[in-house]
Amino acid sequence: MEPSDEELCRRVAERDADAFELMVDRHQARAYRLACSILGNEADARDVSQDAFIRLYQSAGRFDGRSRFSTWFYRILVNLCIDYRRRNRWWRQMAPLARSGGDDPDERAFDPASSEAGPEGEAMLSQSTSRLRRALEKLSPQQRAAVLLQTQEGFTSREIGEVLKCSENTARVHVHRAIAQLRKLLQSE
Amino acid sequence: MASNHPETELIPYLRGELSAAERARVAAHLDGCAQCRESAQASSAILSRLARAVDDVREPEWADYRAELKRKLRAAQAGRSRGRWWADLQLPVFGWPSIAMGAAAVAVLAIAIVMHRGARSPQAPGVDQLELQQELSSADVGLLANYRVVEHLDLLENYDVIEHLDELGPEGRQNNATPS
Repeated sequence: MEPSDEELCRRVAERDADAFELMVDRHQARAYRLACSILGNEADARDVSQDAFIRLYQSAGRFDGRSRFSTWFYRILVNLCIDYRRRNRWWRQMAPLARSGGDDPDERAFDPASSEAGPEGEAMLSQSTSRLRRALEKLSPQQRAAVLLQTQEGFTSREIGEVLKCSENTARVHVHRAIAQLRKLLQSE
Repeated sequence: MASNHPETELIPYLRGELSAAERARVAAHLDGCAQCRESAQASSAILSRLARAVDDVREPEWADYRAELKRKLRAAQAGRSRGRWWADLQLPVFGWPSIAMGAAAVAVLAIAIVMHRGARSPQAPGVDQLELQQELSSADVGLLANYRVVEHLDLLENYDVIEHLDELGPEGRQNNATPS
């Protein structure tokens, strides 16, 4: 039987290298994808998600088991992402086009495209995703993290509140405002 | 009335997060509010779009990723075991330069405040001021050591004085310090 995350975390706290490796193997893809969605940059996502695992290794003993391991770990990851964006804000303002790609001004307004529509449909889907990512870039870090935790990790509002250290209601407001802002941005393109 | 629209509850409603009573209340509202129905549909479309967008993220080569992580972890551990207590502070990349610049700014501010006080009081300098002046003289702070001379100079007209500032003795400084 596979050990739970909480059990693995306890073993990591005891400096069990195998447990840490298993933990990384289990969470690397989700952590990387979430970081990539928040940061909008693969290289940054790689660095920051690795930093999150290092923090996990160093502070596993502080996990008290009161929340789910994933909530605790994603709090570390999201905080690192938010800090990273804050630190590098000036640089992003100077080079905003370096990451997202798909800046064709003739791109159509957002509408869900089917992946079964052949090459043209795939191209539309790709453009649509690019627009979505650009719109995500314009959200506040908290809003972006909230909506991504919900859609990509399936977190509830309460869990999002735990990650962002805010109330469940505030988490709902973050998600609501993020979606409203995305709708507005995508309609205006 | 806009304030009665359950705006922040629509997404929890769609995701099945609400209690039975909350769900019933939101459902009843949706039955009678076209605006909220439209909003719920649009939100649902964006949520599913966001969920699909994650599939477009290009994943790294995981073996390389883990090897790099191991190297970083070893480096972090080596730093900690060498007693680098500051590693625990987990400062951001630009943290130490920022602290150094902050310290320099505080030092400059402190010097400026002391100088300003000195300029206002013509009496003999106190012990603290003398110590500071000695420190300034020994430090590589250029014109600051001769601040009393410099503050009364016209930079264009007295270029020669500035050029030979280092050769001025205490008398010269005193004479030049007196405003004409």
